[in-house]
This record gives sequence, structure tokens and C-alpha cells, in this order.
Amino acid sequence: MLKLLSNMSFYVPELVCILTMCTLLFMEAFYGDKSKGRTFVYITAMIGLAIAFAVLACSVGNKPQPIFYNALIIDSFSTVMKMIMVLGTLGVFYLCSQSTDIYEDLKTEFLVMTIGVLIGGMLLSSANNLLTVYLGIETLSILSYVLAAFKKRDGRSSEAGLKYVLYGGITAGVMLYGISHIYGILGTIQFSEIPGLIKALDSQQTLLLLPAFVLFFVGIGYKIACVPFHMWSPDVYEGSPVPVTTFFSIVPKLAGMAVLIRVTLVFFNHDGVLQTAWVGLMQVLAALTMFVGNITAINQKSVKRMLAFSSIAHAGFMMCGILVLNATGIRAILFYGATYLFMTLLAFYVTSFIIDKYGTDDHERFTGLISKHPLVAISMSVALFSLAGLPPFSGFIAKFNILSALIESEKYSLALIAVLNSVISLYYYLRLVKTMCVNEADSSEPIEGLGFVNQAVIVGLGIPVILLGVFWEKLMLVADGAKIFIQ
Amino acid sequence: MENLLSCILWLPVVGIVAVLCTPKGKDNAVRWISLAVTTITFVLTLVLYCNFDTSMSEMQFAIKVPWIKAFHIFYSLGVDGISLPMIILTSLLFAICIMSSWTITKSVKGYFALLLMLESSVFGVFMSLDFFLFYVYWEIMLLPMFFLIAVWGGENREYAAIKFFLYTFFGSILMLVGMVALYYVTGQSSSSFDILALQGGNFTNEMVSIFGYDFHFNKLFFWFMFIGFAIKVPVFPFHTWLPHAHVQAPTAVSVILAGVLLKMGTYGFLRISFPIFPEASVHYSTAIAVLGVVNVIYGAMCAMAQTDVKKLIAYSSVSHMGFVMLGLAAMTVQGMNGAVLQMFNHGTSTAMMFLLVGILYERSHHRWIIRPDGTKGFGGLFTQLPNYSIIFIIGMFASLGLPGLSGFISEALIFLGIYERFTTITVIAVFGLLLGAAYLLWMFKRMFFGEVIEECKSYTDVNAREIFYMLPLCIAVVVFGVYPTPILDIMRASVGELVTLLSRF
Repeated sequence: MLKLLSNMSFYVPELVCILTMCTLLFMEAFYGDKSKGRTFVYITAMIGLAIAFAVLACSVGNKPQPIFYNALIIDSFSTVMKMIMVLGTLGVFYLCSQSTDIYEDLKTEFLVMTIGVLIGGMLLSSANNLLTVYLGIETLSILSYVLAAFKKRDGRSSEAGLKYVLYGGITAGVMLYGISHIYGILGTIQFSEIPGLIKALDSQQTLLLLPAFVLFFVGIGYKIACVPFHMWSPDVYEGSPVPVTTFFSIVPKLAGMAVLIRVTLVFFNHDGVLQTAWVGLMQVLAALTMFVGNITAINQKSVKRMLAFSSIAHAGFMMCGILVLNATGIRAILFYGATYLFMTLLAFYVTSFIIDKYGTDDHERFTGLISKHPLVAISMSVALFSLAGLPPFSGFIAKFNILSALIESEKYSLALIAVLNSVISLYYYLRLVKTMCVNEADSSEPIEGLGFVNQAVIVGLGIPVILLGVFWEKLMLVADGAKIFIQ
Repeated sequence: MENLLSCILWLPVVGIVAVLCTPKGKDNAVRWISLAVTTITFVLTLVLYCNFDTSMSEMQFAIKVPWIKAFHIFYSLGVDGISLPMIILTSLLFAICIMSSWTITKSVKGYFALLLMLESSVFGVFMSLDFFLFYVYWEIMLLPMFFLIAVWGGENREYAAIKFFLYTFFGSILMLVGMVALYYVTGQSSSSFDILALQGGNFTNEMVSIFGYDFHFNKLFFWFMFIGFAIKVPVFPFHTWLPHAHVQAPTAVSVILAGVLLKMGTYGFLRISFPIFPEASVHYSTAIAVLGVVNVIYGAMCAMAQTDVKKLIAYSSVSHMGFVMLGLAAMTVQGMNGAVLQMFNHGTSTAMMFLLVGILYERSHHRWIIRPDGTKGFGGLFTQLPNYSIIFIIGMFASLGLPGLSGFISEALIFLGIYERFTTITVIAVFGLLLGAAYLLWMFKRMFFGEVIEECKSYTDVNAREIFYMLPLCIAVVVFGVYPTPILDIMRASVGELVTLLSRF
């Protein structure tokens, strides 16, 4: 009992989030109908997350600590991952407060549920046995289903929710089936014991383990939307309200990435048939994910949908960092995650403003944005160029890191595929930049209603996108220090 | 003196800030600020020239500051005899381009800010001694170019801009793979992006496996880099972006594109490909020479078929850059010297031609030698615009290599250098000169002689501003045609060093 209590001290960030969640529920009951109280609710939510972030930031360098009878592990890797996710959620909160895409009376619920998803993500990033992984995925998913269907009077949002549930339900089942197989082969669900047991397996059992792991991977693959489990994501991303889409393309994706890194290292960290087979499979999946994401993004008319496909491609890029199975790769993914966060937030912020203004995110609606609102157009261009991986923006450094991880372990073929995908992605990003900055608008009336704070936030998101592309040593060191701990 | 290079590199950036801070509506202030900045930069490059020690082949004015320690990346600048002529050319052309852009009225602030950004990034490419820094500048350059073509260009500008961007990005991304591979091949302890440290290439035995096929590290990445630079030059199969970009770009951007950016490709060969992969370079020099001669002949043939005068000049650039490739492929002292000199001379002469076409376009608003319906676009300009015609004649003859003007000397040096190694190719390439004379003179005949077309009568001759900015180029073309020694002196030591390095393989 005492041990459990002392373990709690490592669990403070999550506890803070849970506390914030409960507080928000109470506040909703008291302030619910008054729009005046709403500001108060946001401030509370943001303060809660800020505290969680601060606690996480203070504990980055700490020694790895397994807690709750080895169910969770708190190491610097998980801490940094959590920090990125908390930051992403904070960004989404602000977007939610501005967006009209979420019903005014449901905004508190939105906050509560995103925090719930965030807690699921945090659980995933420090999961230390198979059951916690499953628990994390389910926490993440169930609330996500509700979020996708949040615009309840909108047919497409409901459709998104339903599609999400169906896919999620099936993949969760398959995943659980995989877990039971793994347990059957190894006799344990603890990550700390698995590497040793795998080494002792004979060749026949090893052969059995791979299909079991693939079944297990289905659940994670669905979360990060890698091919062939990506089918749900464009429709869900398009149908959901913008803040939800933004949230989906950051937090669940990174949480899935975190858990994928951990299980990959747990199961495949020593040389052998198993590793070769898995790395080979991952290479194919990563390449396919990039190609499918980028090629389908080319033809999209809706910017939100385009960003959704591009986020699939980005997941493929991050997967490249996993399959090299070393510290350079993990460092590259963390760096990628941190920079991807700012670019994505920025791109979605602008898209959200356009949707609020015109009611649609059609490509044409961006025409001549530069003459209507130069700041917004320039920020969007910065975000898009960064997503395409062009220096001096941070997206380039992120891709550069992944590329060096690949080339360091001599995966030249995948490196070539990855850079070719950069070229493909540049095409559709560039087309949007062209629409915004080159094409003449039908009318040059400026976009009104973008207050000072909103502009400041857009600039505030744009600055790290550029700064992290030039002065990236500090972030690099943080990512480098975030070692993953596996017994 | 130590910070002179940084000053030149960052002064345009200061200019950008100043331009962006000028209040709305003060377009003239923007123009004067840009002119002041580029002129000061030009003066600074002259200071650089005066303090340059021509007897040294090493990097001068070098500065090396750590940037990203974890990756051994440095902010490392320096100039030698190969980059100095390019830097002077760049600063000169940019100052001239600012003057020639006085008539731009569409979002003036953005235009001049982008032009200054372009100048800074081009300087960055020519000065970087760190491969990573080089690459970053190489890519940054695409952004202003894209917007300059796409916003201020001609009718079909969007297509041209996107094509240019994608093509170059494709090339540079291959270079990126090569760059990272070079970093890791040298082993963790000595890994670096330092261009000078990578010279001499000691990785002949490394193998690389791509999609199951094994390649020699040396040869594979030589070709990766080659494609990256060749797209920029542009070398024959990769040249298709160039006519579009040139025709659609506004005059000043065409001048920069032809005058400076194309040289970045050949500069890349001299700074990166040849020193880092000397063995592969020597091994494939025949291929480079063949591509060069194809460029010469094919570019000239295409130029001959054009009815749009700007497209004609654009193709003539393809042809002339072919001579540079030939000079590089020779790998002899004369050939290399000729190539670098040709880079400089082509920069001045082609800039003249594009500026002149631009001046004409401002009066006529079309560029047809023969219109699509078969009627003449221009005629009898010689009697209408006498001063213009004189400048045009100087530029044209410099371009076709008339003895006494700049083009002749560099081409002669190139032929001298290459004759012994590739006799057949030299003989074919000489026909390129003939073709060059043919298409230029034919164009001149069709535009400047014959009956005066009705609409040409309203054209006014060049004004004082136009004469003023054409004058430095005219002087350069004539002076360096008679007395090229100053430039040859600058480059002699560095080129000699490179040739010695290559001759060991």
C-alpha cells in the first residue's frame, strides 16, 4: 500500500490532468449556461495542463522508474512524449475556444473529453505491459469516438463517429486476440520479461510469435493510421469538427508512435530472424504509408482532407525512425513529433479560420488570401513549406534527422523513397501556397474578425516553426537525452 | 576583415528588414533602399577583391563558428579563386537588376524583399564551406525564386514556377541523400559536413545497396550529386524547366537566373563533385563531355527554331553552359580556367541580352520575332532605336564569341584545354559556335533590319537609367575581352590546385 502511494508521486502529471477533468465537470454544472463563465473554464483547463507540463518538464532527466507493479514505466522518453502531447492539447484548447465548429454549449465537454484522450495517450507512452497498452488504446479510442461525432446535428460528423467506432472496435478485438497469442507463447505480458524470454525461444515458437505480433500491431497501426489500417482516417478527419481533427492528427498519433517504439524495442531489439522479418515488414509499411498518404493528398479539394492525408504520410516518415531500432531513430522521432506539433497546429488554425469565415475549407476559398490577410497567408505558407521539409523551416530538420537515422543504418532504399515522397508532398503543399499567394482573389475585402490575440497566437506558432529550423541544437539535446528504458 | 564575408552575406537581410519596415505607399523609398543595399554589397565585394591574395589557393577570409555541435555542423564561410568571381558577378548583377526593376509596380515591397533574399541565399551558396550550410542556402534560394516567377511573371507563370521548384527540389533532395551518406561514411569520429575535409574522397571500397543492387559508394553518390547540380546548370535531359522559367520570369529574375543561378550548378561541380569524388569524376569525364557537347549543339538547334526572342536567349544559355561543362570535363588547367572564365563571361553577356530583351518588352509588350500568325513582330529597329541597337550589338557579339569581346577568350581556353583529351567532341562543339553565330545573327537580321514595322515607330530609344545600368556590363564585356588577366589571376591558384587533385586519379 505504502509502495503504491509512493508510486503516486511519479504519477503526478496524470493526476493533475484527472483533477482538471473533474474540476471542469463541476464547473460546467455551475457555469454551464453562462457564456461569461466559459472564459473561466478555459483558464482552468489551461492552467491544469500547464501545471502538468511544468511537472513533466521538471522530471525529464530523472532515473527511469517502473511504477504500479511494473504496469507503467516513467522514463525520460515517455516524459518528453507526454510533454509534446500536453502541448498539443493546449494548442487544441485555444483553437476550440475560437472555433465555431464546436457547439458553444458543448465546449466544456470537449475539454473534458480531450483531457481524457490525453490521459489515455500518457498511459500509452509509458505502458510497460501488454494489458496497459490495451487499456491505453481503449481509453484513447472510446473518447475519440465521441469526439469524432461531436457535431451531433451534422450528418458527416456522425458518420465519422460511426466509422471510427466500427474500425476501432474491430481492430481492438484483433489486437486483444494478438495479445492472447503472445501471452500463450511467452507466458507473460510484462515488457521487462519479454526480451529475455524471446531470446530463449526455439525457432518454431519464434515463427509463431511473428503472426501474433502482427495481430497485436493492428491496434497500434490503426491508431497511427498507417497503411493498410488508414482507411478510416480521411473520412473521420474530414467529418470531425476542426479542433477535433487537429487533436486527432497530433495526440493519438504520437501516442501510437510512442507505444510502437516501445513494443518494437521490446520485441525486436536483438538480432535474429524475428528482427529481420519485422524490420522488412515495417519498411514496406512505412514506404506504403508515405506513398498512399502523399499520392492521395494530391487530388483533394478540401484542405482539411488534404492535411489528413498528409498526416498519414508524416506517420510513415516517423515509422522510418522506428525501424532502425537505435537511439538515433528515437531521437529523430521525438524531434519530428515536437516540430510536427507546431506545423500542424499552425496549418489547422488557419484552416479553422477559413472555415469559420466561409463555412467551407474548399481549396478555392484560400484564393488570394495574401491580399485579404497577409499575416494568415504567410503563416500558412510557412507551415506548408515546413511540412514539405524545406529549409530553413523546422520540418526540414525533422526530415533530415529521420534521413540520417536511415542512412546511418544503411537503409538507402527507404531513404530514397522517403525523399522522393518529400518531392511529391511538395507538389500539393506548393499548390495551396500558389492558390493563396499567386492567384488573384475575386474580391479583395480583408478578412475581419481576427482579433489581436488570434494573430498573436498564429505568429507565436509560426516562430517555433522557423526558429527550430535554425537553432535546433537545444531541442536536439532534449530529444537525445530522452532515452527509452527497457530492462 | 574577418567578418567581411558575413557582412556581405547578411547585408541584404538587413535590407529586407528595412524594406519591410518602410511605410505603405512609399514605393520609391523601397527602391532606393534596395539599390543602396545592393550597391554597398557590390562595393564590399570589391573590397574583398582588393584584399584577396591571388597567390594562395587556400580559402581566404575564412570564418568558422559552431552551429550544431551534436552534428558537427559549422557556420563556415570562405572564398577562393573559384568563388570570388562568382561573388563579384552576383553582387554586380543584383545591383543592376534592382535598377532594371524600377518599373515594377505590383507589390513593390514584396518584390524587392524577395530579390534581396535571393541575393543573400546566392551569396550563401558561393561562400559556404560546410555542406549542410551549402544545402540550406541552396534550398532557401528556391523560395524567393518561386514567388518572383509565380507572382511577377508572365501569363503562364504558375506552371513555370511550380515546374522550376519541383525540378530543382528533386535534384537537391538527391543531393541531400548524398550529403548525409558522406557524413556517415567517414565514420563517427571524423564525421563532418566540412567540404574541405571531405576532399580527396577516401571511400572507394565502400558499397551501397539500394533495392537489392550493389553500387560503389563513390560512383553512386557522384551521380546523385551530379543530377542535383545538372538540373541547375541545366544539362541536357534535365533542362526542360529552363525555357518555361525564363520566358515567364520578369526581366530581372531572368537575368539572375541565367547570370547567376545556372552558375551555381557548375560551381557545385567545382566545389563539391570534383573535389569530393575525384576518382568518379575522372572516370566519368567522358560522359560529362558528351553531355556538354549535346548541350552545346542541342541548345543551339533549339535556339535557332525559336520565334520568341526571350526563349531564344534562354536556349542560347543552355548552349553556352554546355561549353562550361566541356571545360570542366577537360580537367586540364586551360579547360578549367576557361570554364570558370566562361561562367563569369556568360554571366555578363547573357545578363545583357536578357536586360535588352526586357527593355524592348517594356515598349512592345510582346517578344515575337515572328508572330504565331506569320507576320513579323519587330522590324527595322536599327533605324528606330540606334543607341539600343549599339548596346544590343555589343551584347550579341560578346555572346557569340567574337574575338575582342569576352566570350571569345573563355571559349578559346576551353577548346585549348579539351582538344587533346576529346578531339572528336571538340570538333563537334566548334560547330556549336557556328550555330551560335547563326541563330544570333539571324535573329538580329529579322529584328533590326528590313522594313520598319508600323508599331515599332512609336518605340522610344533607351533612356538614361537604362543606359546607366547597361554601361557596367558593356564595359565588363569589352574590357575582359581584351584583358582577362585580372579574373584569370584570381582563379589561377585555386583551379591549379583542383586540377592537381584530379590528376592524381
